[in-house]
Amino acid sequence: MARKSFWKRITIWRYLFLAVCFVIVVGNPFTNYYWDINFIQGWFQSIGVGNLWIVSPLEGVESILTAKFFYMPSLVGMVIPVTVALLMGRVFCSWMCPIEFLSLLTDKIFGLIPKWGNKLKYRPDLIRLPKRFLWFALVAELLFTMIIGYPLFVWWSPPGLVGRETMFYVFYKHVTIEIVIVILVLLLNLLTRRLFCRYFCPLGATLALLGKKRQLVIHYDASKCVGCKVCDTRCPMGIKPSVGESQTVYCWNCAECVDVCPTNALNFTWRDKGVLRVTPGVVKVND
Amino acid sequence: MEKKKFIKERRQFLKVTLGTFLSGALTSCDLSRFKNPKTMVKSPIGPNILRPPGAVSEEHFAQKCIRCGRCGEVCPYHCIKYFDIKTGGVFSGTPYVNVMEKPCYLCMKCVYVCPTGSLVPCAKEDVRMGVAVINRQICVTWQQQKTGLMCKTCFSVCPFSGVAIKIDHDFRPYIVEEYCTGCGICAYSCIADTWYENKGKKAITIMPIKWKKIKEIKLEDIKKS
Repeated sequence: MARKSFWKRITIWRYLFLAVCFVIVVGNPFTNYYWDINFIQGWFQSIGVGNLWIVSPLEGVESILTAKFFYMPSLVGMVIPVTVALLMGRVFCSWMCPIEFLSLLTDKIFGLIPKWGNKLKYRPDLIRLPKRFLWFALVAELLFTMIIGYPLFVWWSPPGLVGRETMFYVFYKHVTIEIVIVILVLLLNLLTRRLFCRYFCPLGATLALLGKKRQLVIHYDASKCVGCKVCDTRCPMGIKPSVGESQTVYCWNCAECVDVCPTNALNFTWRDKGVLRVTPGVVKVND
Repeated sequence: MEKKKFIKERRQFLKVTLGTFLSGALTSCDLSRFKNPKTMVKSPIGPNILRPPGAVSEEHFAQKCIRCGRCGEVCPYHCIKYFDIKTGGVFSGTPYVNVMEKPCYLCMKCVYVCPTGSLVPCAKEDVRMGVAVINRQICVTWQQQKTGLMCKTCFSVCPFSGVAIKIDHDFRPYIVEEYCTGCGICAYSCIADTWYENKGKKAITIMPIKWKKIKEIKLEDIKKS
């Protein structure tokens, strides 16, 4: 089977979207500092584009929980990300998060190393935890914030730190120690692809929880499947689309499996209009 | 078949009870209420290191702030800075204004940009970042007999001169605490540190606001003068 042509691959658009989001987040300290253009301020904890405010759901909820105080702009700012998560699931993680962009970039860079490159590129997942670990991470995070009494994820969230460190570098010409967290998250990719995103990211857990009944899902067509299992090896989240797991909570709609499938057995559909819900565990192989 | 169903139901029941227990714990348990904030976590806010204008009280600031950094990016004078984990601890990532490096010029841009209400939108006159305190032993105009100087820098530089800072018949400045915004322009531009006997000390410091203690500050001033 021939691979899909370049511009018909969905992942190409995903990479482009990731790059645009990364440039916006990393570039806005520069525009603010050097040219005094305040059109875009902030980063993924809370970004303001003109008069449109977007507040990250987990951080907003944490600040409400600790301060016990409702502020209308923060509630209104949470509407857009929450609706996006309700409709499309963890789409923020795979299509916008700067950590995903950076880990794709590090994957590319590691692939260029002459001897080890190929081994690193097609590495198996060394650490495999039960997927339920994601929920424990969310609960532990919330419990710790309540015990300490100050929101925690607001300062150690890796996607937020990417923006903050660039801002620190541009504005005050130095970088804080927190950059270690970002580097650590990127290095953990060597053990298992997206180890942090899979098992430890509380923000990803909230978005996944919101998108449990999401509309945009990857539909697995058992009649078209040849059973080559390329999608299983390709999936960065370590789930198995060939068993119909792409409709579970843990899928983040990154469309890697859609592009890699040689027979187009996997496709994006709306859940209501989709053909059938595939029960996990049933695999059909064409004769 | 029935046994399977039973197990499923039991699991569901366990899940629901665990969920309710956790959510109840989340909303009710708040140890910050019991601890003594002075001993557990010490706020890095002190003399001349203040919160940006319109900030809520210091106990609630770090709880509300989500460290998005928009106030600092919007500030046209780049006077808003951020604590990091070394200087701030739990307060890392929250904004502050160091008056001695660069004071706040009350342009009120940061206030309208805060998404969580830790900086509440208010008018220029209602800002209370702190209160300026004049050390009359150091101020060159208050020590006219010694120095023979008569500077009115703080009076002429104050955005509310004549209201927040007044001068008496000997041109000696004094502060009306009710109207002082604590922007710190007077402390920044004070020339008392150039007088050789003062050894680089400035006559005005901005104390972070504690409304209960303002009367004490007045008493101290009277004692000093």
